[in-house]
Amino acid sequence: MAQRNKSDVDEELTEQFNWYDYARLARYIKPYMKKIYQILIVIILANVAGMLGPYFTKITIDSIIPNKNLSGLWLIGILFTLSLFFIGWCMRYRIYHITELGQDVLKDMRLDIFQHLQKLSFSYFDSRPHGKILIRVVNYINTLSDLLSNGLVNLISDIFNVVITLIFMFAINAKLTLYSLALIPILIVMVMVIQSKQRRAYQTLSNKQSNLNAYIHESIAGIKVTQSFAREQENFRIFDETNEDNRRTWMHAVKIQFLLWPGVQNISVITMCLIYFVGIRQIGVEVSTGTLIAFIGYVNNFWNPVINIGNFYNSLITATAYLERIFETLDEKPEIVDHPGAKPLPQIEGNITFKDVTFRYEPGKDILKDVNFHVDHGQSVALVGPTGAGKTTVINLLSRFYDVNEGEVSIDGHNVQDVTLASLRRQMGVMLQDTFIFSGTIMENIRYGKLDATDEEVVAAAKVVRADDFISELKNGYDTVVEERGSTLSAGQRQLIAFARVLLADPRILILDEATSSIDTRTEELLQSGLLALLEGRTSFIIAHRLSTIKNCDQIFYVDGGKIAEHGTHDELMAARGLYYKLYQSQYDMLRLAHD
Amino acid sequence: MSNFQWIWQYVKTNRNKLWVAVIFFLISTALILINPYVMGQIVDQVIDGHQDNLLIPLLLLMIGVTVVRTITRYIYQLIFEQTGQNALFDLREDMYRKLQELDFDFFNHTRVGDIMTRMTGDTDAIRHFISWVSYQVLECVFYFVVSIIVMMTISWQLTLALVAVTPLIFILTRLMAKAQHPVFFQIRQSFSRLNSMVEENISGNRVVKAFVREDFEIKKFNEHNEDYKQRNMDAANVSKTYLPWQDGTANSLSVIALIFGGYLVIKGQMTLGDLVVFNGYLWMLNQPMRMSGWLINDVERFSASCVKIRQMLAAKPSIEVQLGQKPLRVQGKIVFDHVSFNFSDDPEHPVLSDVSFAAQAGQTVGIIGETGSGKTTLVNLIGRFYDPTSGTVMIDDKNAREYPIRQLRDNIAMVMQDVFLFSNTISDNISFGRPDLDSEYVESVARVADADNFIMKMPNGYDTIVGERGVGLSGGQKQRISLARALAKDPSILILDDTTSAVDMETETKIQHELDGLTTKRTTFIIANRISSVRDADLILLLEKGHVVESGTHEELMAKQGKYYEVFQKQLGLEKGEQVGTTE
Repeated sequence: MAQRNKSDVDEELTEQFNWYDYARLARYIKPYMKKIYQILIVIILANVAGMLGPYFTKITIDSIIPNKNLSGLWLIGILFTLSLFFIGWCMRYRIYHITELGQDVLKDMRLDIFQHLQKLSFSYFDSRPHGKILIRVVNYINTLSDLLSNGLVNLISDIFNVVITLIFMFAINAKLTLYSLALIPILIVMVMVIQSKQRRAYQTLSNKQSNLNAYIHESIAGIKVTQSFAREQENFRIFDETNEDNRRTWMHAVKIQFLLWPGVQNISVITMCLIYFVGIRQIGVEVSTGTLIAFIGYVNNFWNPVINIGNFYNSLITATAYLERIFETLDEKPEIVDHPGAKPLPQIEGNITFKDVTFRYEPGKDILKDVNFHVDHGQSVALVGPTGAGKTTVINLLSRFYDVNEGEVSIDGHNVQDVTLASLRRQMGVMLQDTFIFSGTIMENIRYGKLDATDEEVVAAAKVVRADDFISELKNGYDTVVEERGSTLSAGQRQLIAFARVLLADPRILILDEATSSIDTRTEELLQSGLLALLEGRTSFIIAHRLSTIKNCDQIFYVDGGKIAEHGTHDELMAARGLYYKLYQSQYDMLRLAHD
Repeated sequence: MSNFQWIWQYVKTNRNKLWVAVIFFLISTALILINPYVMGQIVDQVIDGHQDNLLIPLLLLMIGVTVVRTITRYIYQLIFEQTGQNALFDLREDMYRKLQELDFDFFNHTRVGDIMTRMTGDTDAIRHFISWVSYQVLECVFYFVVSIIVMMTISWQLTLALVAVTPLIFILTRLMAKAQHPVFFQIRQSFSRLNSMVEENISGNRVVKAFVREDFEIKKFNEHNEDYKQRNMDAANVSKTYLPWQDGTANSLSVIALIFGGYLVIKGQMTLGDLVVFNGYLWMLNQPMRMSGWLINDVERFSASCVKIRQMLAAKPSIEVQLGQKPLRVQGKIVFDHVSFNFSDDPEHPVLSDVSFAAQAGQTVGIIGETGSGKTTLVNLIGRFYDPTSGTVMIDDKNAREYPIRQLRDNIAMVMQDVFLFSNTISDNISFGRPDLDSEYVESVARVADADNFIMKMPNGYDTIVGERGVGLSGGQKQRISLARALAKDPSILILDDTTSAVDMETETKIQHELDGLTTKRTTFIIANRISSVRDADLILLLEKGHVVESGTHEELMAKQGKYYEVFQKQLGLEKGEQVGTTE
């Protein structure tokens, strides 16, 4: 496994933004092209209506007022007002549809990245702080909002304006037009220089923002530890640094970003001066005064959209720093995927075979080596052995959370790599070491195991695992709302809820990974009978330290050093007087010691 | 206090710089008026008047004005940006500090995603307000005032006619603000829900995968995603209702100027030239009126974000944090005197009832009892994570309430039931409570916790970075690192809450022996389900539904043949099953 990332380390960018990414961005916009055209038509209509204003003013001043034509004045007033109503209507249309356009594009992107996250394997989530993933799905995408709504539509209409104006300019006077384009190369060079610096600055900034998010996230999630260790001061110091990093990189980025506007503005004014300079000398030669003044007007019309396009480019560069992170996430390859031609796993019985299985996270360090075993359907298997021996790895390979490096894991003769993931995992119930409780009611949490379960089914499952006892004592019973991770419940209570959840899923293969470690004796005793019912007819793997849970299993595997060092029933292993016997004796001794 | 007064507290430290910014702003904005005038001069003097020698100076003036204008604008923009960043910086620091002070109660009832939203999205809305909205408002006010003054000098009648429209703009702005207010709050809430949902999905990714609930999660996400869009559309709906009217009213100034102005000219009360000049200034009056509606949206977004931030900053932890006292060392004598406790939101269910016991400094107290019987709550009272509802907890013969909590907690190390490790190196995790520890010490405590062995086997040893919360490590490994972390703090009171549930008994014994061997005397609380974990304790408490039903040493309790004895027999039976008879 690659070195994990932490909150104070910038994440390296694995792929640089390139033109292909703009094409990718365009793909999000494509479904809405029709809408964009409609908006553009409305904008053009509004612009045309907007031109009426100056026209009305012109005729009023040129003819109506000199002629003291009062009724003409009123007529103009009415027409003018009507044009305003039309402009108002256009604006109404535009506000709504542009917002919708932006929101739709963002929604699609957000959904894409979220859907993609669901496909990614454990290792993706395990190898970086969660705050850094979160910021990509939520905050980064939101930064694109303006760019993809107003920015985009304005860009198109600005480009349109620039082209039209250029055509007019050429039509009036080609020479002056060329002069007015004389500084464009300088503009381009300036934009290039600024953009490359700005890009780097925003890349740094987005990294620092991500670090800050990660640190805040971890600080909140681990607040109980922080408070109990009275480590607030030290945390505050780290936060302060991260916060300062953000402020500094932000200021650095805007210092560069803000340069663009003055640059474009000055170039545009210099161009204007150039036209005056050249134009006035040529008055009477090639140009008339009227032409010059009209031309100057067009130069203005030309530069305004150019400045806008510059601003758009500016925000695009800013957004790029976020976009590349978003696309990077979308390009993250899930390690575990359905192989081409994978078929759904049919209803299984639960015969499991490990054949010469070797697994490693990194070369040279085998976690499991040449593991072979077979378990018949309906059997229960206990995995025992020292911490870190590979017990959890065995079950992770079975449910294909990881893929074997060598060998084969098969269920009912189907290699787990040849079937679809969903069909495989749907027939397995895994109860993990970390019991995760979602915020919501207890009922909803148990129902997570089987989404269409009725309330009665949920309660029945809770009863089997003895969770009903404590749940019914809560003020709101099953409707009690628990917060994320169930922080108001005790660890044992959470394990019981997780238990009920698995039971409700009614899997063919059941995996319990230290599922009962936090449950007290009385509950455990009560649970035993429920557990037996639960195990009945299913193939089950149990990782536990309590021998009480272990010894009734049909088979016991003693895992040590990546191998199954011993296997057999409790009696067989006891008779063999090996590692298991030693383990059992030591526990037994401790109990007897307590008894004495 | 209004939101503006409140945020001013964060802005006012930049007052001096802001004055500079305002001056630059005035220069820059005033200069906008120059170039159109210069251009007019070029037409009048140079083109029409043929004073060709004036051309170059006028052109240079234009360039000069633009240079000054763009530089001053660049500077004031940066100052506003810096002010926004400074305020943001201070605000975040205050929020983070508050976060560290708030008690468990707050965190038990507030979703992580919601706090994240406050510290990121909400603070950003405030930054935007300070860095951008503020000078936009300034610009509007400036244009408005200047244009009215200039127009007044041209024609007061016409100006008054135009100003007569302003109340309409004002009313529209007010109405829109009122309509947007709840909408922006809803957007903010929806965003927070979206954030929380994704946050939970990421944290719970293992469960999602284990139950193949990806589609369900996507569906859930889609609902939040759609809701967020809809809330934004609500705002667009309000905007589309008011903004066109506002814009139309602003545009109507042109109509009024033209028609009423034209009327005045026809009636001979104004010259045509004046009307043309008047018209030239119209955009300055127009602009602020048009902008006001858009700015209202920003202001409302700002207000919606203020609410949640101020709420958090105003939250009072029920146990107050006093800062700045000297460190103090407690011995570790703990006495519970008729202690009862219930959570404030659930007074009918006492978690602890009338608990009394005494532990001398250096003694070990074992606590056993069923799931939910109040074991963890009991030890939480020692570190003042909660204060008892009635009765007193005495530490070194002094009421625990009299200890400043951070100084008190400095003496306590807890190994919690939910082990939380930070995404950092193992070594940094162990030295969490004492960041200045050297690596030798870290390794020595890791040995005591029987963690050294497996840590050394890891690819990068102590420099291995663990995933957030410690993912990737087994339960037993996490517990042992967490134990090492507690030991590294060298506390006078050590609390082990179900610390060894995920390690095998052999390792547990080893750890217990190592713990006994440590020279420092410390009061130790051990919460466990297995009797083997507590049997050597000086005092064992058996809790049942918040009551201490039995207490004493292992021997005493065994002799009593009561509930403890029963539990022990059960465990023995559970561990050995039907073979009890045959092996003995």
